[in-house]
Amino acid sequence: MAKKEGSVNRRGFLKGAAAGAAALVASAPAAIAQQDAAEARPAAVVPTSAQLAADVAAPPANTRIVENPGSDFMVDVIKALGIEYVAVMAGSSFEGLHESLINYGDNSKPEMLTTCHEESAVAMAHGYAKIEGKPMMALLHGTVGLQHASMAIYNAYADRVPIFMVIGNHADSAVRGAGVNWYHSAQDMCAMVRDFTKWDDNPASLQAFATNSMRAYKIAMTPPMGPVAVVCDSGLQEEPNRHKNLRIPKLAMSRPPSGDISAVREAAKMLVAADNPRINCGRAARTANGMSLVTELADVLKAPVNNGGERMHIPNRHPLAGNGTGQPDLILNLEVQGAPPPPNVKSISITALDLFMKSNIQDFQPYAPVDLSIAADAEATLPLLIEECKKLINADRRRFLEDRASKIAEANQRARNQAKEDARFGWDSSPVSLSRLAAELWPLIKNEDWSLVGWQGFIGGWPDKLWNFDKHYQYIGGQGAGGIGYNAPASVGAALANKKYGRFSVNIQTDGDLNFAPGVLWTAAHHKIPMLIVMHNNRAYHAEVMFVQRMANQRNRGIERAHIGTTLREPNIDYAKMAQTYGLYGEGPITDPKDLAAAYKRGIERVKKGEPALIDVVTQPR
Amino acid sequence: MKRGSKRTFLLVAVTLVALIVPIVAASAQRGAAPAGNPNPPTSPVTGNAANGKALYFANTCYGCHGYNGETGRAFVGNWSANLATEENFIRFLRGRANVAPVQPSTSMPNFPENSVSDKQAKDIYAYIRTFKSNAPELKDIPTLNQIIKGASRPYKP
Ligand SMILES: Cc1ncc(C[n+]2csc(CCOP(=O)(O)OP(=O)(O)O)c2C)c(N)n1
Repeated sequence: MAKKEGSVNRRGFLKGAAAGAAALVASAPAAIAQQDAAEARPAAVVPTSAQLAADVAAPPANTRIVENPGSDFMVDVIKALGIEYVAVMAGSSFEGLHESLINYGDNSKPEMLTTCHEESAVAMAHGYAKIEGKPMMALLHGTVGLQHASMAIYNAYADRVPIFMVIGNHADSAVRGAGVNWYHSAQDMCAMVRDFTKWDDNPASLQAFATNSMRAYKIAMTPPMGPVAVVCDSGLQEEPNRHKNLRIPKLAMSRPPSGDISAVREAAKMLVAADNPRINCGRAARTANGMSLVTELADVLKAPVNNGGERMHIPNRHPLAGNGTGQPDLILNLEVQGAPPPPNVKSISITALDLFMKSNIQDFQPYAPVDLSIAADAEATLPLLIEECKKLINADRRRFLEDRASKIAEANQRARNQAKEDARFGWDSSPVSLSRLAAELWPLIKNEDWSLVGWQGFIGGWPDKLWNFDKHYQYIGGQGAGGIGYNAPASVGAALANKKYGRFSVNIQTDGDLNFAPGVLWTAAHHKIPMLIVMHNNRAYHAEVMFVQRMANQRNRGIERAHIGTTLREPNIDYAKMAQTYGLYGEGPITDPKDLAAAYKRGIERVKKGEPALIDVVTQPR
Repeated sequence: MKRGSKRTFLLVAVTLVALIVPIVAASAQRGAAPAGNPNPPTSPVTGNAANGKALYFANTCYGCHGYNGETGRAFVGNWSANLATEENFIRFLRGRANVAPVQPSTSMPNFPENSVSDKQAKDIYAYIRTFKSNAPELKDIPTLNQIIKGASRPYKP
C-alpha cells in the first residue's frame, strides 16, 4: 500500500502510482536483497555487502509516495537562474534532484547532459561558460564525484570562469543508511575543493537552498568569476516540501567593479605620454564587448596589443595586433596575473584579482611590483580609460601616434607574414607537420561561422598564425591551471554553447589530453553536438618526453629511456576506432599530408549534419 | 651504468612556458633558430645512415627536431656550422659537458661519449645528412598563398 506524504497534485499522483507499479514487478532476488538491506539498516555496525552494493543494486521497493518533494522546489530555483544545461554523472546522493529535473522539470532548461566522468561534467561547463558568458550546472555525487571533479574545478577557478555546481550529500547521519551512503557523505562537503572554489554553501533548508543558490550564482558571475558550489542534502531533496511560503528571491547581479576615476586618469596620462607603450592581455575580454574595447583602446593609443593566449582581445590581423617594435617603455597589463615588468619598464595593472584571492594554491603567480595598480575589472574600466586617453591626445600628440602606428603595423605585418611563410617547412613531411594540419583546415572552414574550441598551446599556435581570428568566440584559450584533461571535455562544452548559434566548432585535440576521459566523445555523440575534432596524435605526452630528456642529460645518463612513461606507443591507439566505438564518425590514422583535405571534407560534411566527427592525424611532435 | 655531469640547459624553454605563453609567442621555434646555411653540407660522410636512423629515434632527436629535421627546432634548410662536418657535429654533441658544463652554448642536451660513441655520432650524422628539404617553394603551395592573400586584405572591423 502506497502511503502518501505532502500535498497531492494530479501529475505527481500519477507518477507515484507508476513508481508503485514498477516496484511490484521487481524481480524476486533483487527484492529480497533490498529487504535485507532495509532491515539491517538501523542497527548495522558493519555494513553488509548488500548495503555496500546500494549504489549498484536496484533501489528498495517504494512503499510510499512522496508528493511535492523538496527537489521539485530546487528545480524551480534552478529554472529561475536561467540555466540551460546540467551536466551530470549520476549518483544516489542526488537521485531526488535528478528525478525532479527530468520529470518535474521536463528535462528542459536545464536539459540533462549525460557524462562519463565528473571531470568531464565540470570541464564541459568550463568550455560552455567561455562561449556563452554564463554558467551551466554540474551535478556531482557526494565525496567521490566531487573528488573526480576537483581538477576541472581548479582549472575553471584559475581561468576565472563561472560554474554552478550542485553536490549531493546525506547530511543527517541519524537517518543515513549504513554502507555506501556514509562513504559518499561529508560533514563539510566542499572542504575538499574550497581552496579553488570561489564560494560554497551547505543549505540546511529549502529556503536556504533558494536564497543561497541566488547568492552563489551572483558570486560566480562577479569578476573575478569562478566556480561555486551548493550542497544539496538528500533529506531536503526527498522529503515532501511542507513549507507554505517558500520564496525564490530575485537574482540581484553585481555590476563589475570599474577603476577609481583618479587612478584611471593617472593611467591615461602615463599611457598617452609613453613613447612605446604595449598592452598585454590576459583574461581581460570577458565578452565580445571587451574585445571591442581593447581594440578601441589600441586604436586610440596606437599601441600594440599582445593578445595573450587566453581570450580574444583584438582581431589577429589588426595592424596593432602583435608586439610592435623595440622594447616598450610602459606596459599596460589587463587582467594579467603576476607579470613583473622587465627592468626599467614602467607598468600599470588593472585586474579584479587584486580584489579576491585565496592563499593556499599558488595560482596567483609571482608578485608584480607595478607602478600603478588598479584593483578593478579591466573590461568594466576600459570605457573610462578610453575616454580619459582621448581627452589627453592633442593634435601634436596625434601626429606622433599616427607615425608610431604605421611603424608598428609594418613590424606586426612582417612578423605575421614570416610566420605564414614558415608554414611551408615540413609541408610534405610524414608524420604530418602541425602547420600543414592547420593550413589545410583553413580554406575549408573560413566561410563558416567557425569557432576554435580547443587550446593552441601544444599545436604551435598554428591556427593563430594562419587563420583570421576576428571574433571573441573564435578562440577561448586553455585550461586555466595547466591541468591536462581539460581540452576534450571543455571543447565539447564550448561546441554545445556554439550549437544554438549554428556555429561550426573545431577542436585540434592532443592525444594525451583525450585519454584522460575519452568518454566525453560519447557525450558529444549522444547529445548531437556538432564539432570537428582533429587529432594531433604525436603518440606521446610530448611535453614530458622533453622534460625527461632534460633531466637525463643534466645527469649525463643518456636519453635513450626518455620515452619510458612518456610515450603512448606499443600499441598505438586507434582514435578513429575509438571515435566509432563512442558513436562518432571516425577516420584515420592519416600519415600522408596529401590525404588531409579529403578527410577533413568528409568530417565537415558530418558536422554540418549536426554530429561530431573525428579525424585522426599522426603528427610531428611539435 | 652510472653517469654524472652537472649542467643545465634550456632544451624545453618553449615547452616549459607553453602553458602560459601568449599565442603570438607560442611557437616561434623556427624563427628563433639562428640563421644558417640554406644548403646542406657537402663534407664527407663515413657513418652508417641505417644505424643512424635507429639512433635518431632512440635518442629522441625527433622530439625537438621532428622526424625529418624540418619541424620544431628545425635544421634542414637552416644548416648551422655545427653540422658542417662530422667533426663539428661530434664536437657539438660533446661541447657543453666537457668544455663549458655550466654555460651551455645551446639549449640542446649534451651527449658525452658514454652516451653516444663517436661511431654512433657518425651514424646519426650520416642519417641527418640524408634529410632533404620537404618544403616546396612558397609559390608552389596554393593553400599557403591563399592564406597569405586572405590575411593581407585590409582588416575591416
Ligand atoms: C592533470 C595533469 N597531469 C599531468 C600533467 C603534466 N603534463 C603536462 S603536459 C603533458 C602532456 C600532455 O600530452 P598531450 O596532451 O598529448 O600533448 P603533447 O605534450 O603531446 O603535445 C602532461 C602529462 C598536467 N599538466 N596535468
